[in-house]
Amino acid sequence: MKKAQPTRAIRYGELLTRGGQRLRSAMTSGWGIAWVTLFLLVPLLGIAWISFMTRGTYGEIQWPATFANYQRLLGFGVLGFDSQYPTIILRSLVLGGGATLVCLIAALPLSFFIAGQPEGRKQIALTLVVIPFWTNLLIRTYAWQILLGQDSVLARLAVGLGLAEVGRPLYPSAFAVYIGMLCAYLPFLVLPLYTAVEKLDWSIAEAAADLGANRVQVFRHAILPQLLPGMVAGILLVFIPAIGQFVIPDLLGGAKTVMLGNAIQQQFGPSRDWPFGSAIAFVGMAVVMLGLWINTRVTAAKGEEGML
Amino acid sequence: MKKSLLTARTLVAALAMFTLVAACAQKPAAPEAAATPAAPVTAAATPASTAPTGTTGPCELNVFIWSEYIDPEIVKAFEQQNNCKVTLDLYEDNESMMAKLQAGGTSQYDIVVPGNYMVPVMVKLGLLAELRHENIPNLANLDDKFVNPSYDPANKYSAAYQWGTVGIYLRKKGNKPIDESWSILFDKSKQYGSFLMMDSIREMMGSALRYQGKAVNSVDPADLKAAAAILLDAKKRSQGFEGGVGGKNKVLGKAVDAAVVYNGDAVRGMADDKDTYFFVPKEGGVLWVDNLAIPAKAPHRDVAEKFINFILDAKIGAQLSNFNQYSTPNKAAKAMIKPEDLANPAIYPPADLIAKMEFVADVGDANKLYDEAWTQVKSK
Amino acid sequence: MKRVGLPLWIVSALLYAFLYAPIVVVIVFSFNAARYGGPWQGFTTKWYGVLLDSPEKLLAAKNTFILAFTSTMIATILGTLLGYGLSRYDFPGKKLFSWLMYIPVVIPDIVMAVAMLMFYALVRDSLGLFPLGMMTMVLSHVTFQIPFVAIVVRSRMVGMDPAIEEAAHDLGATSLQTFWYVTLPLLLPAVVAGAMLAFTLSLDDFVVSFFTTGPGATTLPILIYSSVKRGITPDINALSTLIVLVSVVGTIVATLLQRPRRTQGER
Repeated sequence: MKKAQPTRAIRYGELLTRGGQRLRSAMTSGWGIAWVTLFLLVPLLGIAWISFMTRGTYGEIQWPATFANYQRLLGFGVLGFDSQYPTIILRSLVLGGGATLVCLIAALPLSFFIAGQPEGRKQIALTLVVIPFWTNLLIRTYAWQILLGQDSVLARLAVGLGLAEVGRPLYPSAFAVYIGMLCAYLPFLVLPLYTAVEKLDWSIAEAAADLGANRVQVFRHAILPQLLPGMVAGILLVFIPAIGQFVIPDLLGGAKTVMLGNAIQQQFGPSRDWPFGSAIAFVGMAVVMLGLWINTRVTAAKGEEGML
Repeated sequence: MKKSLLTARTLVAALAMFTLVAACAQKPAAPEAAATPAAPVTAAATPASTAPTGTTGPCELNVFIWSEYIDPEIVKAFEQQNNCKVTLDLYEDNESMMAKLQAGGTSQYDIVVPGNYMVPVMVKLGLLAELRHENIPNLANLDDKFVNPSYDPANKYSAAYQWGTVGIYLRKKGNKPIDESWSILFDKSKQYGSFLMMDSIREMMGSALRYQGKAVNSVDPADLKAAAAILLDAKKRSQGFEGGVGGKNKVLGKAVDAAVVYNGDAVRGMADDKDTYFFVPKEGGVLWVDNLAIPAKAPHRDVAEKFINFILDAKIGAQLSNFNQYSTPNKAAKAMIKPEDLANPAIYPPADLIAKMEFVADVGDANKLYDEAWTQVKSK
Repeated sequence: MKRVGLPLWIVSALLYAFLYAPIVVVIVFSFNAARYGGPWQGFTTKWYGVLLDSPEKLLAAKNTFILAFTSTMIATILGTLLGYGLSRYDFPGKKLFSWLMYIPVVIPDIVMAVAMLMFYALVRDSLGLFPLGMMTMVLSHVTFQIPFVAIVVRSRMVGMDPAIEEAAHDLGATSLQTFWYVTLPLLLPAVVAGAMLAFTLSLDDFVVSFFTTGPGATTLPILIYSSVKRGITPDINALSTLIVLVSVVGTIVATLLQRPRRTQGER
């Protein structure tokens, strides 16, 4: 199955043997790969390992190996059957998906706007999107508590529009959480999407219009496919972290719901059940793998090389 | 092109230089502090007894403690009296503290302040060093209730620091009489107004259990399920969960009408705003006591024991309680507590109410039950 | 390129306003005399004084910047080499590793944080290394920074015309000389961009730092989190305002530095 590789090849002007290439790879990529492998990939395997261990009486990690943690995740808990964990996972997926959708809806116009700016202003417009990102997320989220408080401008606007009761703050609520997520993740979707929009070949769209397609069709068939790799990259950059997010649901959702992130934190914190926490984290990892796999398929189909 | 190249390269070079300088300047915590207080300290600070981890070099103490829990004046007084440098690291809950110790903090901190239910767990996990009573004569000042407590027989590993209760803190509505019961939160028909609950498993579960007349440390699944149901119903009507101090601040900021808080925070809140009020509900609730303890591999064990002795001094004990408005376990200090504090039922509840309250204890394997019940409350 | 119509302007303006609203609030409230973040009670600058007076906040600020600079430095070097190597050379398992490199980019913070925490705990139990503190935080930050730098550098490499390097080789330069005198200068914008990205990530990181920090190594995000849990005092707003100021100034400076190259029609 191995491709026949020439023992010597000219690459970028240099004559290199296969061994020479491997040496070069080791000298350049080697360090980075070794680092990430040691400090992240190995630990991730560690999580998978620990998830099969048992929690000792005082919170230690011990043998025997067991499936109990995964059973709990499926709902066979110690207080009887309860679908709370599947619900938590589902809810996190929904929140992640919803946040991604909201960000996508906001990122599309914004990307086109920035790409449509004259050269000098493009960089500024893009930087302006990134600057808020430099403020601490906790602070921004807490600021939304103030912005959505009961006497704030937004609250009064909502009351005026008949969308809320008088005197009640607009948080904690699902609405507030989505606002927080949008604020936190928008730059992650805008950046890759903007890159794709910038490289758009408008001639295809023009050709489609010339051939009689209406605006919707032009968008769907001529523009959207070109945007796909950038969009998928951006979606991944939002969806997967959003699933594990626990700070925003805590601060803007009144800590009333448990998401995947909260569940993991609870096990590594107050409940001191590292094996069970690892099992939950492992599920989170599985979602990451799935997402990456999807991304590879999409970009492979487009014949492009990498994620961004 | 050349000019901008130069600028960019210079920037990179500058960054590199800065980092090198910074990295050299940033030595691990201990030697950095060694740059401060001078030689005379070494002779004074090291006592006659040679401990396995004796004090070498200038005197330092690394204290790991709850935020806003110790009077900065007390820290300064200790520093001056012993020519020592004290560093305070803060935490917000017991479990983070223990996680830190398990992760290597046992050789980095000298003093920690675990809650009573943590002490047996930490002892079992080998995280605490024994207290050498000969270095802590002021242990005699402790009130009888805290000498030889059930969670630490013979005070082998800990000495009580402060104790307190968990109750309801609310904003008064005119002169309407307040029903001092958990039902103003847990019973839909008697709800007081908008409220927050404490984001803490044992405190809330314990309160709900007492509301039903059950034991705070019950391991009966039926009890726990019932308590979880009550909390779940309350959660749906509430503004959510907050830490104790956060809840107090939200009441003060008029964002909610009521919150479940620790009594000391509430008392300080009442001093700030006379329209607020705190009480421990008549059904009883959760009692807690925080303790001073020394991690197993503390680098400055002798100084740590001196510190504990210092805190247990009558005058200092009184100063401490007068500062954080919690209850002192120090019977010698009681004489010097502000009289209005002694008379304040929020700080020193009457005996009949105390009888209805229980200390939270670790429940070992039954922890999973509490964890599931709490996840039920939080996730539905 | 299509011209931007009015509806798009309005929508975009609203979105920008949305992004900046919390920052404005933070800045405004850093001058609010009310102690508990309640309604406006008068203008004051006293919180800035309170802020500068508290040693633990200043220590946290120092830790944060040292952490960010150190980790960015290491990550930029390793990440640039990685990006370069991945785009230029082949080796067995390259596809797999490229794929694996993306994990730190997408993985939820908390999964990564607990993984590292457990790794350090296990190593400490057996080898006694890695007590939690500044070192573990640097190690952890570098780990999630490397892939970001690598991605930025690599995408620039992919778009770069190999003819220039080939020409250098033809003219007799060794690989090292080619890299240092030809490739690297061309890569510099990407390297700097990657470094800035890595710096931002480190500066703002909370979850990973929270789980891997040790005594005396508290960073600003951790401090802010404890404050939020306790109830934000306005001096934290003052601190955030200062951070925003530093970030904005830094970004403007970096952008200006990049400007001259852009207008010279390099590509």
